[in-house]
Amino acid sequence: MNTLDMALQRLQEIAANPRKILDGYLAQGKKVVGCFPIYVPEELVHAAGMIPMGLWGGQVTPTIAAKYNPISTCSVMRSCLEFGITGKYRGISCAIMPMLCDTFRGMSAGWRAGVKDIQLAAFIHPQNRNDTYAQYFLTAEYRALAARVEKLTGEKVEDDKLSASIEVYNLHSKTMMNFTQVANDHLDVVNPIIRHAVMKSAVFMPKEEHTIAVQEIIGELNKLPKHDWKGKKVILSGITAEPNEFLRIFVENNIAVVGDDIAQESRQYRTLIPDGANPWERLSGQWMNRWGCSTVHEKQFSRGKMLVDMAKDSGASCVVICLMRFCDVEEYDSALIIKDVKEAGLYSLCLEIDQSTQNNEQSRTKLQSFAELE
Amino acid sequence: MSEVKDTPIESSPLPAPKPKRPLPLSRQMVNEQTAKCYAEAWAAKENGEPVGWSTAIFPQEVCEAFGVPVLYPENNAAAISAKHLGDPFIEHAEGAMGFPINICSYARLNMGMADVLDNPDYKADPAMPRPDFLLLANNSCTQLMKWYECLSEALNIPIFFVDCLFNYYEEEPAFYKVKYVRSQIENYIENMEKFLKRKLDWDKYLEVQKRSQINCQLFNEIVDLNRRTPAPMSGFDLFNYMSCLVLCRGKESTTEIFKQLKAEVEENIKNNTSTFPGEEKYRVHWEGIACWPNLGFNLKKLKEYNVNAVMNGYVTAWDVRYAPGDLDGMAKAYQTSSTNSLSTPTIMNKRVDSIKNFGCDGMLCHVNRSCKLMTFHIFVGREIVESNAHIPVANFDGDQSDTRIFSEAQFETRLQGLVEIMKEQKEGAV
Ligand code: SF4
Repeated sequence: MNTLDMALQRLQEIAANPRKILDGYLAQGKKVVGCFPIYVPEELVHAAGMIPMGLWGGQVTPTIAAKYNPISTCSVMRSCLEFGITGKYRGISCAIMPMLCDTFRGMSAGWRAGVKDIQLAAFIHPQNRNDTYAQYFLTAEYRALAARVEKLTGEKVEDDKLSASIEVYNLHSKTMMNFTQVANDHLDVVNPIIRHAVMKSAVFMPKEEHTIAVQEIIGELNKLPKHDWKGKKVILSGITAEPNEFLRIFVENNIAVVGDDIAQESRQYRTLIPDGANPWERLSGQWMNRWGCSTVHEKQFSRGKMLVDMAKDSGASCVVICLMRFCDVEEYDSALIIKDVKEAGLYSLCLEIDQSTQNNEQSRTKLQSFAELE
Repeated sequence: MSEVKDTPIESSPLPAPKPKRPLPLSRQMVNEQTAKCYAEAWAAKENGEPVGWSTAIFPQEVCEAFGVPVLYPENNAAAISAKHLGDPFIEHAEGAMGFPINICSYARLNMGMADVLDNPDYKADPAMPRPDFLLLANNSCTQLMKWYECLSEALNIPIFFVDCLFNYYEEEPAFYKVKYVRSQIENYIENMEKFLKRKLDWDKYLEVQKRSQINCQLFNEIVDLNRRTPAPMSGFDLFNYMSCLVLCRGKESTTEIFKQLKAEVEENIKNNTSTFPGEEKYRVHWEGIACWPNLGFNLKKLKEYNVNAVMNGYVTAWDVRYAPGDLDGMAKAYQTSSTNSLSTPTIMNKRVDSIKNFGCDGMLCHVNRSCKLMTFHIFVGREIVESNAHIPVANFDGDQSDTRIFSEAQFETRLQGLVEIMKEQKEGAV
């Protein structure tokens, strides 16, 4: 196995075995803080000397979570609660949850009722970012969040450490965006499953470590000749695009992913933390600059055009909406995206992501039909 | 249309229709007030003046003081649904517009309607004129934000936004949260002045605040009268007066309506009568929005089982209380009044208090497919109610506007089950 294969395999293993990774951290005496999707200021956790780990649920048919989750709870939150109640996340010191949608508003109580061993640290982003006090509010909210996490874990955030963590995170974001570019020249190696593993492993690893791993992969890819991909190219949009069985349909149909707006993947990385003297304000400034996301209010809907531009820039002919089951914010956006994408003369596909079922037959049919198009 | 001829009663296969009870004066006044609001909005539109659409718990004081007509899509959707006229708009939103079936049915109905405002094939009743601006407060839910984003995009009109945050813990909003919301109200006034190209009359603004407080206070007093056993009102009556708080919270005409209603309720108390059409053997607390398309059926069954839903938490969401002139107080009130702006433990413990105050024997919860957050409150709050109020809780599935979810059979079975437990508990208590 060459260096590239080994590096890719390592990240695939990490992406597939978060519990093993968590046990490893705990065995080393490290404290781990769970971070719900999305836009948790992980830098605070990192600066406090703890490991932030993403909580993204997983393939499970929830049973016990139904007590606190209405049937219309989005698939990823249902499985998170199921894992929380059944001890899959045991050992985590606390969990940070952003109140980005109605499901989170409800889950903040559902989690506290059902998962007694992992305390919740909730916070909220300001949505009216045009207001004079929006950033002031968020800076104060981040400080309050840090204080809450400190109370739950005993670990404090110092300003200089936070500044250092911000640099770590910015470098990681740049590296990830660089990877998405370089990968497009090597679609024979970086197929949708591998691309996803590189992205997903980031949510379970310390960012400095992940940066090194991805830089190594980029270096190795750059040594290879550019590949001329003859199959179809698509952009993915949504909250998650997994599991591998789902992505395998793309591979089997010769469809490459050449860009993504997946919340678990690039969506987190495309907005850097701005420069500045005060690290707390830098952190809140990042939220002020975020865009093109279903959980971020904007004066004008920019996401459709963003996806069209992404497709055109990377030669993709289709935007695939990976619609998380019962994610209402994404559901609203989906109608507008489809309209914009169609108007631009591109294809759009809407595929359902449901962590509670292994059945991908509908997606298979749609992708096969797309693959057969001239 | 063919004319319906008088059929001699004895030859009719159907039972003679019951003569309709005349509406009480307070209800007639509500209807007149609502009609006037719509008429004023249409008149303004025809005169080329701006008209707004607003979310239900927005700082209405400002536009009321400006004298700009504002209508409320949630309230409008409820009215249309109660008349069984919502389906074509919902179908249009799901079909031609491509909105998924899982999003709030008020949103689907309204976005569908907004897309066919000028299409004579679609008839809304009551019909709203095309808006020139949108007023958005997300204290009820986040879906409102998404819904209004879509409206703004489709109609190409601005949103005036007051982000009310969400109180995820059981604590008072911190000072920096109040400051942010207050700042938004202040900026909203400034931006509205620019939009309308005229200044706000601050004296009038204060007057509207005072009036709004009087109206909220009066409504609370009326609701409180239903604590009496047996209750002087069918709890469902309260739904009929909500439009006063949503559409006209800052108007004097609402004060007149509430005074009249209060007199009618007091009259019932004096005469030991009630608007509840059955015998009140059980008193329940209703949770959630009404199933507007099935309101009649729900009431019929409640009557049949002698259950009066004497109180419901939904109608208290417009209890936006603050001292007139206190902007911080106003900001805080808009942050905390809605059922959905508060954490489940906060809201469900409020319900526990209300269950005790109103002497409820059970709780009947509408698991509303549209409204995720209210449904979460019901699921997570059940333990809180059962263990703190010691009453049985029953859920039924439904929707506020989408007619495909509610099942008459399930509603009856669940109600029956609840009645049996309430009966057992009552008998056991003797
Ligand atoms: S019914 Fe619920 S989801 Fe719909 S607008 Fe009202 S609060 Fe929001």
